[in-house]
Amino acid sequence: MSNRGNNSGGGGSNSNVNPSNRPEWLQQYDLIGKIGEGTYGLVFLAKIKSNRSKSIAIKKFKQSKDGDGVSPTAIREIMLLREISHDNVVKLVNVHINHMDMSLYLAFDYAEHDLYEIIRHHRDKVNQAINQYTVKSILWQLLNGLNYLHSNWIMHRDLKPSNILVMGDGEEQGVVKIADFGLARIYQAPLKALSDNGVVVTIWYRAPELLLGAKHYTSAVDMWAVGCIFAELLTLKPLFQGQEVKATPNPFQLDQLDKIFKVLGHPTVDKWPTLAHLPHWQSDQQHIQGHKYDSPGLYSVVHLSPKNPAYDLLSKMLEYDPRKRITAAQALEHEYFRMEPLPGRNALVPPQPGEKIVNYPTRPVDTNTDFEGTTSLQPAQHASGNNVSGAMGGPHVMPNRSVPRPMHMVGMQRMQQQNMAAYNMANQAGMGGAMNPGNIPMQRGVAAQPHQQQQLRRKDGMGMPGYPQQKSRRF
Amino acid sequence: MDSDTFSLPNLLCEEDESSLNELKLKSIPPPPPRSEEDHYIRSLIETESKSKDYACVSVDEITRNWFKCARLDAINWILSTREILGFHFRTAYLSLTYFDRFNSTRVIDNGKEWAIQLLCIACLSLAAKMEEQIVPSLSQYKAQGYTFESSVIQRMELMVLTTLEWKMCWITPFAYLHHFFSKICDECDSNQFLVSKAVALIFDFSKEVNLMDHRPSVVAIAAVLLVCDDQLTRNTLEFKIDVVSSLHSLEKQECIYECYNLLKGIETKKNNTPESMSSYDSFRNHRSTSSAIGIKRKLTYNGLEQNCPLQKISRR
Repeated sequence: MSNRGNNSGGGGSNSNVNPSNRPEWLQQYDLIGKIGEGTYGLVFLAKIKSNRSKSIAIKKFKQSKDGDGVSPTAIREIMLLREISHDNVVKLVNVHINHMDMSLYLAFDYAEHDLYEIIRHHRDKVNQAINQYTVKSILWQLLNGLNYLHSNWIMHRDLKPSNILVMGDGEEQGVVKIADFGLARIYQAPLKALSDNGVVVTIWYRAPELLLGAKHYTSAVDMWAVGCIFAELLTLKPLFQGQEVKATPNPFQLDQLDKIFKVLGHPTVDKWPTLAHLPHWQSDQQHIQGHKYDSPGLYSVVHLSPKNPAYDLLSKMLEYDPRKRITAAQALEHEYFRMEPLPGRNALVPPQPGEKIVNYPTRPVDTNTDFEGTTSLQPAQHASGNNVSGAMGGPHVMPNRSVPRPMHMVGMQRMQQQNMAAYNMANQAGMGGAMNPGNIPMQRGVAAQPHQQQQLRRKDGMGMPGYPQQKSRRF
Repeated sequence: MDSDTFSLPNLLCEEDESSLNELKLKSIPPPPPRSEEDHYIRSLIETESKSKDYACVSVDEITRNWFKCARLDAINWILSTREILGFHFRTAYLSLTYFDRFNSTRVIDNGKEWAIQLLCIACLSLAAKMEEQIVPSLSQYKAQGYTFESSVIQRMELMVLTTLEWKMCWITPFAYLHHFFSKICDECDSNQFLVSKAVALIFDFSKEVNLMDHRPSVVAIAAVLLVCDDQLTRNTLEFKIDVVSSLHSLEKQECIYECYNLLKGIETKKNNTPESMSSYDSFRNHRSTSSAIGIKRKLTYNGLEQNCPLQKISRR
């Protein structure tokens, strides 16, 4: 028995591999090439055969170490994403299981851009700051997505420019999508050290309480990262570019703290009462408390007047004490978003006629790599509309970039709720031979309930509160 | 074995600022600050009440009697393995939730004890991946009488994941326990004996009922109320609940009272039987003396085990 006929569910099994040696689920896609590589796998660009215009990003999880079973990162990412539905957060379109080797593939809508590339383009190619409308619109949408996550007790924990995607041409052009939930946690779920599982997390966006070893941290860590990203959008440079110590699993990142203190000044127990209890603050007094830093100079780094609302918002995001740090909900209400230019839905195209529109390059695609991650012998092709081809690493690798190019989980438009059916592959077609470990004879439950497809933890009234004030004008 | 994770103060540790620097604190989900905690508990209860996940499922009692015993074995295996591997209680409970969810969708044929065993391992391993900081390799799960290759367990994990439609984040009573203790009886909160009694009650209860039939918040509050006072009447119980504002969304006091009495019955039954063995020991003993499927089991000492496979439990 196989799952044949279950075309969306990826039920293809090793018993029904087609002549081209591809499982059935894979045949619904045309593979274009590899677009990213991270510690937990590869990302490919593909098109849906039945809908040529529709681009999909497919994230393939690396096989976990033999004997560990299904990767915990994959489980958590899928588990979280299946419950999430928001304009400014990526949404999972499909989950496929390749039964032959039990590998997992996640399909997302494709987003052409990300903040890492947008910032780099302005810095290295355009030599010009990102216009204020775009900065504000990106920030507003990022906060809007984050507010949704936090209201649903989800912490992202790995926000950085490359994880913030922006949709390319199409109906959702310029819409920001928060991506990559491999490290996300449901509030109150156990917190793991951020560098376990061999997952490398860049430290530039890491909140001071984490750097100082806090065991107890909150969604405020994400707001710190947003502050760093905001500053980077303004200046085109990472705000706190510390040198990472990679020795032990969770080393003390003194240099990163040093970079922060140089800009924001030395934290004090007066302003941050719980500081005294943080492990590294106590254990490393000589380095941390001994060195004295000059008065804060954030405004000079970001070239903003202290009276500027943008500066006010930024400094509230970079508040040392996580309890006093501004929340996503509060930030959305900040004066900065009520001043001209008002933020809009298409962050890339300012509504005012005459404003210069920047043409951002499309994502480089390595067309030589197939789904197995092996390099094929086919000659390189050019992806449609893409003038970059060949090796993935080239255009992406930055001299000062200390982490591998992260994967791009790509946003998607409002997917119909029908997608959940796809998560239920084995169910749909009875027990496929390959799915059934050891061919356990099982029947469908006599009292099987229709599975509820409700969104756990979703709150009524959540979602897009709408752009400030003039919704109609921007849309 | 990590005895830390077994000790109850750790399970329910209140991690305030002063304890932040104590490195021995680990793997405890830090409770949020008080006001936020109320908000959080309310949102959990709200989530539960909106979900249709806790509707009753009726199962053909006669053909499923085999399953009842298999389930009891499964719980005992999960509990003893939890202890061996040093997992949290909530991990064990969560794996049992997976187990019950899985079996409400699929039916394992009578007599396929090995399939139940394999399912247990997959459920516990998945729960550990969700809840534990240190996740053991699959080879560390020792089945009773069977050896499963890692790849077989991984296939079973995938089957559980797809059967549950990747919905792996279920609320357990342990999410509420600390909060309810602090609300119902503040001095009880720090009373290890009472807390461990509540934990034991919750697991005894889980042996008797399908977890899908009872909301975790109801189980938690009923257990807390019972260990604090086993003489509550309907009125006094309602009075106690009324005091707690975060409980107001827990509107069905009738359910709580029912659950309270169910738990009380279980406890009484347990107290009336010899306590010479712990349930884990009895499990091991039980396994070694009962051989094949369907053979009458050795009587053990608590709750349902005493009567299995003869007792008929109505789950409607």
